[in-house]
Amino acid sequence: MQNNHHKERLYKILVIGDLGVGKTSIIKRYVHHNFSPNYRATIGVDFALKVLNWDQETVRLQLWDIAGQERFGNMTRVYYREAMGAFIVFDVTRPASFEAVTKWKEDLDSKLTLANGKNVATVLLANKCDQGRDVLTNNGIKMEQFCLENGFVGWYETSAKENINIDEAANCLVKHIIANENDMLQSEVLDTISPQLEKDKGGTCSSCFRSQ
Amino acid sequence: YEIWEEGLISSSHIKRGQRSLPHRPPVIPLVARMADQNTSGTPAMTEREASRLDKFKQLLAGPNTDLEELRKLSWSGIPRQVRPITWKLLSGYLPANAERRESVLQRKRQEYFGFIQQYYDSRNDEHHQDTYRQIHIDIPRTNPLIPLFQQASVQEIFERILFIWAIRHPASGYVQGINDLVTPFFVVYVFEYIEEEVENFDVSSLQEEALRNIEADSFWCMSKLLDGIQDNYTFAQPGIQKKVKALEELVSRIDESVHRHMHHYEVEYLQFAFRWMNNLLMRELPLRCTIRLWDTYQAEPEGFSHFHLYVCAAFLVRWRKEILEERDFQGLMILLQNLPTMHWGNEEVSVLLAEAYRLKFAFADAPNHYKR
Repeated sequence: MQNNHHKERLYKILVIGDLGVGKTSIIKRYVHHNFSPNYRATIGVDFALKVLNWDQETVRLQLWDIAGQERFGNMTRVYYREAMGAFIVFDVTRPASFEAVTKWKEDLDSKLTLANGKNVATVLLANKCDQGRDVLTNNGIKMEQFCLENGFVGWYETSAKENINIDEAANCLVKHIIANENDMLQSEVLDTISPQLEKDKGGTCSSCFRSQ
Repeated sequence: YEIWEEGLISSSHIKRGQRSLPHRPPVIPLVARMADQNTSGTPAMTEREASRLDKFKQLLAGPNTDLEELRKLSWSGIPRQVRPITWKLLSGYLPANAERRESVLQRKRQEYFGFIQQYYDSRNDEHHQDTYRQIHIDIPRTNPLIPLFQQASVQEIFERILFIWAIRHPASGYVQGINDLVTPFFVVYVFEYIEEEVENFDVSSLQEEALRNIEADSFWCMSKLLDGIQDNYTFAQPGIQKKVKALEELVSRIDESVHRHMHHYEVEYLQFAFRWMNNLLMRELPLRCTIRLWDTYQAEPEGFSHFHLYVCAAFLVRWRKEILEERDFQGLMILLQNLPTMHWGNEEVSVLLAEAYRLKFAFADAPNHYKR
């Protein structure tokens, strides 16, 4: 049911991180509300769609589940294009997958920026939290500090298996994506007005423009 | 039915009375629903099938197998009873000369287990542990729906095969998807020792030697296959990039409306066909269809490296109606990544292969003939 006042938003969201950290499981949980311990390894990219109601608007999320093997690193540029947000996922039981987080973030930021030159909103997911939290407690890592230093807008301990924090993390990401989008719309308005001021300098309408 | 007239493998390899798992889950016919193949418990062969099997047996019985004839005969499918030896001959693993086969098998099997002795302990060394870890993560999720592959001893076999292959091929190493490519060989070579369905087969009922033979033969045949498509898996996967481009070009010539439709909704071939090339359509088809497909790939010159492209084009165009009905990017992507082939069997694969052959014939030697 769509009416004329009903706005629709469509966002492309990337889900990246090392292989076997649970990217596919998180998406299946989020989109299909189920879990299996043995999804097949993603090859290339898998695509899923989630529809949300957000402040009386429909928000469609295109979720791009990108294969975790570093081998595919050179393919990522093609997949990243036009994304508005990203989840970077690691497995709390595997320290190496956390060490890879900064690599994924650098890869993302080096290949993808918003129209205003900013990095896309990225949320960090510490997945498999039902199986322990060794990585989070043992290394003495302050996650808030880590997020600030590495440009994440937030982080969540998640479990696709137990359905913990997946919706919350997604809502956080969507909130930041919309905020970014509104920012860009405002700056676009400014951008289109200022050249006009330049161009029309001395013209008939520019004075009334200025006086306002 | 006698599976092995040549007596290469005798039934004594199977320990009697231990053949089935104690509690069988319901059989999901992912592998063995091969309608035109006779196995114990399925209806008798048609006359045509029996005569085909006879032709194979005749060809295989001689002191020197005529490989050209064997290719011709295999193109339209190989009966289950003779598939293991036929695959080994067509891949070049076994020599055409029958007398030499047993010694070649012995030598190759020894060589493989020599690699294991020499290298397998290094899987936890610093420079190999990443490779091993990736394989170790991928093995339990290779064919997760088939109980055969959930058995620890089967998973260990896959780990050994993949690890040895990866460290012997450092230019590519282990690339996700290669794990799938071991599966058809493994299943077909298990068939060499059993007559029942394979999904729920308990490999611990095989004698140790039989299982070792299956492992070594799977390794060598997978290696032969990968030798022919190595640039699919080297850095930046140039073979795949090239073939995805070639697929796009081909489809634009054989079905302009499908091509334009996808272009209109900004679907890029790489987004769905990468997997088609990387896993040789194994993710898009049930395993039984892959096995049938590989009969032809091994019969066709450059089947895996070249003919596969035409099969992919035929496969895509096979869904033209469904594709043209989709009216946005999302719908197209979800369709193309989940094509409904669950019910497919030999018939559908045969139609696909015939169409691929037609395309190859029409386009291969005259690449510009139909150019727009």
